[in-house]
Amino acid sequence: MSILSKLFKKKNKSKQNDNYRQQQDPDAPKNLPILRDYHENISRLKEELGNSTDVAFREFNLKQYKGVAVYIDGLANSNMISDFFMDALLKNQEELQSDSFQNLVDKVTSLGNLRIINNWGQVYESLLSGNTLFFVEGHTKAINVETKGWDKRAISEPTTQLSIRGPKDSFIESIRTNTALIRRRIKSPNLWLETMKIGTVTQTDVAIMYVKGIVNDKVVTEVKERLNQINIDSVLESGYIEQLIEDQTWTSFPTIFHTERPDVVSSQLLEGRVAIFVDGTPFVITAPAVFIQFFQAPDDYYSRFDISTGIRLLRILSFFIALIAPALYISITTFHQEMVPTTMAIAIAAQRENVPFPAFVEALIMEVTFEILREAGLRLPRAVGQAVSIVGALVIGQAAVQAGFVSPVMVIVVSITAIANFSTPSFAMAISARLLRFIIMALATFLGFYGIMLGVMFMTIHLCSLRSFGIPYMSPIAPFNINQQQDVLIRFPIWAFKNRPPLISKGNIKRTGKGQKPGPPSQSDRKQDSDQGDQS
Amino acid sequence: MEKAKIKSTQLFVLIVLFEMGSALVVGIGTDAKQDAWITVLLGLAGGICLFLIYAKLFLYYPDVPLTSYIQKITGKFIGRILGFLYVIYFMYLSARVLRDFGELLTTTIYSSTPLLIINALMVLTIVYAVYKGFEVIARVGELYFALVYCIALLGFMLIMFSGLVHMENLRPILENGWMPILKITLGQTLNFPFGEMNVFTMLLPYLNEPKKVKRVCIGGMILSGLNITIATVINIASLGVPLFERSPFPLLSTVSKISLANFIERLDVFFMLYLMVGGFFKITLFFYAAVIGTSDLFGLKDYKKICFPMGLIILFASLSIASNYAEHIKEGIIIVPIFLHWPFQIIVPVGLLIIAFFRNRKKQLIN
Amino acid sequence: MKMFLALFLLLFSILPVLSGCWNQKELTDLAFVMALGVDKGKNHRFDVAFQIVNPGNVSAGQGQGGGGLPIAVYKSSGDTLTEAARNAALKVSRRLYYAHCNLLVIGEKLAKEGILDIFDALERDPGFRTTTEIVIARDSTAEELVTTLTILDKLPVSKVTKELQTSEDMLGETLKVNIDDFITSLVSKGKQPLITGYSVIGDKKIADNSQNLQITTTKAFLSANGIGLFRKGKLIGWINGYKARGAVWVLNKVSGTDVNIDWNGKKNAINVTPLRSRTKVSAKIKNGKPMINVVIKEESIISEINTNADISNPNEIAKIEKKVGKVIKSQVIEVIKEAQNKKCDIFGFGEKVHLANPKLWKRIQNNWDEQFSETKVFVTVKPYQRRSGVRRNPFWNELKQ
Repeated sequence: MSILSKLFKKKNKSKQNDNYRQQQDPDAPKNLPILRDYHENISRLKEELGNSTDVAFREFNLKQYKGVAVYIDGLANSNMISDFFMDALLKNQEELQSDSFQNLVDKVTSLGNLRIINNWGQVYESLLSGNTLFFVEGHTKAINVETKGWDKRAISEPTTQLSIRGPKDSFIESIRTNTALIRRRIKSPNLWLETMKIGTVTQTDVAIMYVKGIVNDKVVTEVKERLNQINIDSVLESGYIEQLIEDQTWTSFPTIFHTERPDVVSSQLLEGRVAIFVDGTPFVITAPAVFIQFFQAPDDYYSRFDISTGIRLLRILSFFIALIAPALYISITTFHQEMVPTTMAIAIAAQRENVPFPAFVEALIMEVTFEILREAGLRLPRAVGQAVSIVGALVIGQAAVQAGFVSPVMVIVVSITAIANFSTPSFAMAISARLLRFIIMALATFLGFYGIMLGVMFMTIHLCSLRSFGIPYMSPIAPFNINQQQDVLIRFPIWAFKNRPPLISKGNIKRTGKGQKPGPPSQSDRKQDSDQGDQS
Repeated sequence: MEKAKIKSTQLFVLIVLFEMGSALVVGIGTDAKQDAWITVLLGLAGGICLFLIYAKLFLYYPDVPLTSYIQKITGKFIGRILGFLYVIYFMYLSARVLRDFGELLTTTIYSSTPLLIINALMVLTIVYAVYKGFEVIARVGELYFALVYCIALLGFMLIMFSGLVHMENLRPILENGWMPILKITLGQTLNFPFGEMNVFTMLLPYLNEPKKVKRVCIGGMILSGLNITIATVINIASLGVPLFERSPFPLLSTVSKISLANFIERLDVFFMLYLMVGGFFKITLFFYAAVIGTSDLFGLKDYKKICFPMGLIILFASLSIASNYAEHIKEGIIIVPIFLHWPFQIIVPVGLLIIAFFRNRKKQLIN
Repeated sequence: MKMFLALFLLLFSILPVLSGCWNQKELTDLAFVMALGVDKGKNHRFDVAFQIVNPGNVSAGQGQGGGGLPIAVYKSSGDTLTEAARNAALKVSRRLYYAHCNLLVIGEKLAKEGILDIFDALERDPGFRTTTEIVIARDSTAEELVTTLTILDKLPVSKVTKELQTSEDMLGETLKVNIDDFITSLVSKGKQPLITGYSVIGDKKIADNSQNLQITTTKAFLSANGIGLFRKGKLIGWINGYKARGAVWVLNKVSGTDVNIDWNGKKNAINVTPLRSRTKVSAKIKNGKPMINVVIKEESIISEINTNADISNPNEIAKIEKKVGKVIKSQVIEVIKEAQNKKCDIFGFGEKVHLANPKLWKRIQNNWDEQFSETKVFVTVKPYQRRSGVRRNPFWNELKQ
């Protein structure tokens, strides 16, 4: 696919030259001063913000200070402004003696996080992120008070990544809350956080989090570099970032992991990955990602190892079912009728006797119908969704079979495919199986099993050629590393998680101490115990 | 040369897949009847000796492939010609295996599908893999090694449980004495598959620990040789000598005899799975050697540019090297060993080793 | 680069157009041949009957099934099997599909004249399974056999193949022989092939009619009937009943059968059922002449005692064992004699000689049939009586008192 991307790159070169930022606001008001006359400041603000009605101006007139407080209604916490600042200002009028600006700052304000800004460029930056600005008559400075306080959703249960056992909190749209959720889990000074703003228009807060000492520093620099290279007007969701920094565009497989669960992010940070938080979305992305990671559900680590191993193998199996089940059906019914036992072949033949379509068309119709239903089910309001699923079940399951358009086997195949597809814990991986399924179906139609094998081979070659931030995507299976198999196909008991994955983390490799394997107390201990028991 | 490094385990896996690739499929040493497995073992022993020559040459020039050091040993002019001949040899072999592969599919399941299409799609996959580089090929090898082994074990167990194996079919051992066996070994099993290890003279420089080369490669050869022996024994034991001789693809015949509980039967698909994987690696490695050799001889910086054209050449060569399967097999049994395998696998390397030995001794003396 | 890429993409995109005429075959375009009946033809060399399954009437799932007949039989003829199969296309709307063919029936007439001509086609075709079983239509034509409807199994084929299996397991008078086995023993100089015979018993006229399925005592049914001996691909005779059983003993294929012995002067008073048995055949060369040793080890349980007997006494058990051994031995010797009379080494004794002494074998292999008829065969039976069901002594003992 990289060949294709090369072709496209050449075409795109000319387009990339125009700098979006320059067009957007040709003379950025970076170094303009703040005016002495606060009225003029007000009119200037009004003009430049287009008289937006949510910009609140509150003028005040104290002894020697006249001025205005500006904030954006809804972004700033107005209670905070009135309770702490305006009240304090009015109560402490007496103390305002000298007319120095610093005095005002020192004496009056009971709010923390105060900052003086000197030029007009910073005005919007702070205003638009919910701060309150005080312009005082006669000064070319303004006071910037942190009053961020917009309404945010409460922390609730995760809606897309459910688990039976495990913490029930999930990220929300506020970046600060999200980082705090991680801080609460990893109480280490080595948990480092760096913030930057991305998006020339949206100025979205983006934070990189990692555990210093565990993370591979090269990856951190690489992540930062890629983030710095981003030049885009808007970042509305972490998906924007994901698509801008991933290694390969021409792939249907996710090379960056995303989650809305803080426990998942914490565990990934502890494995040496880098987490990227984006303001305004509950989805946090982590990198580098490897293939097998998308089959690891959080429950795997909370339940015992034998159970989680079995379930993980089941998930991988169902990924393959979701990928090739319809293709297998097509190739069995059109190429390899000898493969199935005689009675089964006759049963399938009997069912297909009255179906007017060739197997591929039949499969395609059913698969597409199902995909439509699923997509519609996602978009529909919850109340209607129920109705649609009933209609869908009736249309697909009952009516189509009775009308003789499709065979009952096909219904079985479609439903098993769909159910298998849902069992992949990561939506990003599941959806790539959904897409590839159609390609493999087409190949199976032309060449039967050979086509399926070709498709799967192409897929494996592609998977093996992928990298995520320098880490081979299929590691630790290919390249195989015997010491990293504790969390691949088989999840070892937690005490056997001796090391962190060395390809990802650097330095602090050790995970568990020696002799962590639990067991009954040793023979001598037990003797003592029983002796004591007898005595008492 | 591409900038790539592979681990010794990856090389091991590639060797096993490569050696077993088509040898399991077409069945080797069938002329030796019930003693075919002995010829396999003898071929293995001879192959290891041959490989020691290649390894020695490699250790003299651990950083460059055959096409480069052949120039250093014999001089620019002759070296280039020989190197070019080697490239053609590798291309011919990859086309040959491709033809084998396509023939099998067209004789068994895809009887009315054109050979062109079947081969073209395979070539497309192979070109894609080669385009992605040697490291990727090695990684794919690791993935499929596990798969192949699982299938092989499963198949082995199924054959055992189906009660197909009748060990008395292997007797009498050495019915006709050693002579015919030695003949078949020298004419067939030594060259194919074990002598074909000479393709690795092009690939060994990628190994990240050149010191381990002998251990890894000979280990891989022994493992694959044993596997082929076991497969041959099972084929003879379950088919019986007459059928074993008459089957163009003995393993396919064996697999199709599996029948367990009247439900697990007709498992030809498993065989096809194996065939795809084995064929893929064999063709890919030959093809990759040819591509790398070409870019090395002509001093191309990026071998990727010639992947597609060379893929096309191999595709059309695979179609035109023989007009029917009988001719193809005849060429494979009579012409190829004498005129291609022996010179390229044995005579030239021995010559090279002798010259290289004296050259390097001279160097050491001067130093 | 771009050009090559474009070329490949083009190739790929026209695949669907091209592939229309390749190996794709929809299930609904296939006629599953379940059994193939080959007879000596009138005008051509072969008359071939194709038993084709009618899927809708076999599979119960759809609800509409059950009405019609499960099978349809088409006939055609030709000088070769392939020709006959192609001629059948004139009559069958669908493509004949052989991969699920489980049974090959050969008419007795044809079998007597030689059946070598039909096997290469079957072996060579990749679609045809060489594990397909063969039976001979004894006293009838193959066509009659494949047209007969059966009552318990909807598919007559599965009746035959299942019966072959069960009767080999339970009775030991039939042999499952598939195409591979047949050809292997055909080409072997030290072994001659055997094929089980099948007959249509009863009213042959009604056999292919659905009336046959409406009565509980079917008027015509299929039944295994002896084992046919072949030499050079020609049927030369039959062995029946106990002799067939003897042959199965020697071939080490017995897994279950029954043996009646006399006791207390009452004929066939005790019946034992062998559970496991193992036959070892070995050859020895004495004075340049081969000798064959057959050793049968057999474990059995007592299944019936119709006289008084004290089976709690180990000595009595030993006596029973002895008698059982005698009976088996007599069955075996009888069949070996029969085979020697017919100069037909159905047991593979020649192969054993080959293993024992390859050099000698090279000299005598072309003359083995003659040699075989004179070869001495020693039979040893080692029976072991293991259990005797859920009763100790039979009620006969108390009756006598």
